[in-house]
Amino acid sequence: MGIVNYLAHIGIMIGIYGILSLTLNFQYGFTGLVNFGHVAFFALGAYGSTLLVMSGGTHFLVGLIGAFIIGGIFGLIISLPTGNLKEDYWAIATLAAAEIVRLFFVNEGWIYGGPYVAGPFGIRGIPSPWSNVIPTDVYIFFYLGLVAIFLLITYLFLNFLSNTPFGRVLKAIREGDDLPKALGKNVFSFKARSMGISGAFAGLAGGLFAHYVSFISPYNFQAIETFIVWAMVVVGGIGNNRGAIAGAAIVQLFYSSTRFLKDYVPIDSKTLASVRMIAIGLLIVLVMLFWQEGLIKEKKSEYKNKLKRVSHD
Amino acid sequence: MTDTNNTLLSVTDIHKSFGKLKALNGVDMEVEAGSITGLIGPNGSGKTTLFNVVTGFYKKDRGHGKILFQGTQIDGMDPSQIADEGIQRTFQISQATRKMTVMENLLLASKQQPGESIFNSFFRPRLLINTEQDQLRKAHEILETIQLEDLMDEFAGNLSGGQKKLLALGRMLMADPELMMLDEPTAGVNPTLTNDLLEIIQKLRQDTGKTYFLIEHSMKVISSLCDYVYVLDFGENLTAGTPEEVQSDEKVLEAYLTGQTS
Amino acid sequence: MQVIFNSLIRAAELGLLAVGLTMVYDLLKFANFSHTTFATIGAYLALLLSSNAGLSVYLGAIIAIPVVGLLGVLLDKVVFKRLRGSSPVILMITSFGVSLALRNVIRAIWGSDIRSFDIPLYRGINILGGMITPIQIGIIVIAIVVMIIFHILLHNTRLGKSMRATSDNVSLAQASGIETEKVIQVVWFIGTAFAALAGILMGLDTQVQPRMGFDIIIPVFSATILGGLGNPYGAMLGALALGFAENIGITWFNIPTGYKPAIAFGILILILLVRPSGIMGKKGL
Repeated sequence: MGIVNYLAHIGIMIGIYGILSLTLNFQYGFTGLVNFGHVAFFALGAYGSTLLVMSGGTHFLVGLIGAFIIGGIFGLIISLPTGNLKEDYWAIATLAAAEIVRLFFVNEGWIYGGPYVAGPFGIRGIPSPWSNVIPTDVYIFFYLGLVAIFLLITYLFLNFLSNTPFGRVLKAIREGDDLPKALGKNVFSFKARSMGISGAFAGLAGGLFAHYVSFISPYNFQAIETFIVWAMVVVGGIGNNRGAIAGAAIVQLFYSSTRFLKDYVPIDSKTLASVRMIAIGLLIVLVMLFWQEGLIKEKKSEYKNKLKRVSHD
Repeated sequence: MTDTNNTLLSVTDIHKSFGKLKALNGVDMEVEAGSITGLIGPNGSGKTTLFNVVTGFYKKDRGHGKILFQGTQIDGMDPSQIADEGIQRTFQISQATRKMTVMENLLLASKQQPGESIFNSFFRPRLLINTEQDQLRKAHEILETIQLEDLMDEFAGNLSGGQKKLLALGRMLMADPELMMLDEPTAGVNPTLTNDLLEIIQKLRQDTGKTYFLIEHSMKVISSLCDYVYVLDFGENLTAGTPEEVQSDEKVLEAYLTGQTS
Repeated sequence: MQVIFNSLIRAAELGLLAVGLTMVYDLLKFANFSHTTFATIGAYLALLLSSNAGLSVYLGAIIAIPVVGLLGVLLDKVVFKRLRGSSPVILMITSFGVSLALRNVIRAIWGSDIRSFDIPLYRGINILGGMITPIQIGIIVIAIVVMIIFHILLHNTRLGKSMRATSDNVSLAQASGIETEKVIQVVWFIGTAFAALAGILMGLDTQVQPRMGFDIIIPVFSATILGGLGNPYGAMLGALALGFAENIGITWFNIPTGYKPAIAFGILILILLVRPSGIMGKKGL
């Protein structure tokens, strides 16, 4: 792959993971919900869009909408227990839920083509949108643009929400349920909406992923993916949308660049894969120990200037 | 307390146990509308527990009693529902959101914000902007009243203990409830600030006729503010009366002496 | 009968892990995701000692277990001690990172291949209609013996009393002169050593691979939460219940084996929804 093409590839991955990072950040950084099963949205979106397009014969965009909806519904479902579960219990439950989702896709090969096609063997030949229209040598740049657009949409949407009164309540919930409850806020409803919206966009990322790589299997959606997205959120700065994207870029770049290490260091690719994971694990630990704010601090909402404008009415 | 038509909050035969520990054992209380009612008692007598039960953070024991607010039965409701009914409370240890500013705290507190609906955020931006501006104005006024104006954009976590108490009061004023329940509003607050606080509460009662129900340890505060005081001891009503009556009641003095010192 | 044997074996492995996990939770108030990784480390270390260093498997195990226990103490000193007082969430995420790193150190050194301990292949003995190998009998016996020793430790020794006091109320324990930091170290040691033992037993029963720690984490959490987080006896009970549930589910209810892990997950979610405090846990406020 030419260097430019490779950079485009990295860009696409950064974009897709950027959406995952933004959405996880919305859950943890803004609402304080610890979700260890984020990969489930990714999986559901990917499979959802794939099935809609391949089995249902729908257009790619419909597939994406389907991914969006499935992600949103799952988000609402797993938010149900947040009312009466402590955060660490809920985190464990989300981990279990994501595994159940993955096991479903491993075992239920009937969803597409029978036991030797789907299930643990995955689904191949997922169509790339407009691939018959756009020439192959520029296709990757087209897809890069596509992903960038969706990343931008996700960023703008979530960023906008964080600055509304809705986002304000989420920020309060982040620090504890008691105060918002005492102020009359229906905390469960806010948490459910937070999970629903972020889940929907995360599902979208899954759809974008599936149509890019054209082959998905349950192995793409193991719990490790959730860890990687956590590393991105944590490195970039919790509670900060730009940070989430920055974190995605940093971790993804690190991930991709280490691939070249084996040309310089006598290390085989399998070991290299493990070393990468060690580094990511260490990264999470180090950030938690020494740098909990991450790269970009959360922005403070200032009102002094807004007030001046208001009182001049 | 005979004029039941004027009773804003009535607590009847409330029990609350935590496993084998009986924190409240058949407590009765009435808070008159427009009054400033006090609740005192030695440490561990169940005052905060009662507050928690009334505001829905704890569920009362089954099979006994009920709580009525403006005629509606509120025991068994969620805290947010009870807050909606018109009761707001402060916490003994001031809940201050560390990463939100003072102004944000106040804006958070107002009720019925259209901006809390995602639909409205996208499809009714004008409504949102106008409401925000109104809230900002109101919040600013309240900030002036509680003298936290200069700290408007400061993180609430950076405030001193006394300032956090003022902030809690400020939030309450934003929410504008019928009944304000304050859990030790002057604890940890320096004397000057305390006087300011008392003045604010008294002035507000005069101007708006709202009702206050407060837990206090300082008899000075009780005497200067309260119309009527209830005394709890070991989860039961010990006595009740005007501050003067209660202060000179021997049973009360004994309770404080034999229990832990206040 | 086979079901009973299989359940007991599984319960033995889960139980050792669950007790360690619940002890750390009780003391430090966070769900340690790196706990089961020590099972993996224990198994590989014993493997290293027995296969490469030529020691017998049993000697290897006896050496490996306390070494891993010390590793646990070291981990606490280097990482978790610095985060004492942080929110459980931060601790959880950190332990997530630790497990990721450790698991991949193993994988980097030993590769993803499946390995086995170098022990003779025993034939199953037929007891009352169920087949069980001597090794498996050993697993169950060892687990029971260890539990009994643990019980004695907890109730009849000074150390045990200190542990119980610290888990009840840290400041009170400190005020009574108990060196809580030392107690914490001991708990890490015991818990991690138990994990290592469990890992070695699992390796003896089936095989050794880098995934083993992670694969078992949800079942262990299920057992622990089922029995009530913070209660070691609850953990043992939970492990028993889960061991039986898994095997009964497969044999009597014909749940497809592909979904066997889902049984543990499903029970976990069910418990969390219905009674998060578990069978023997303290009821939350």
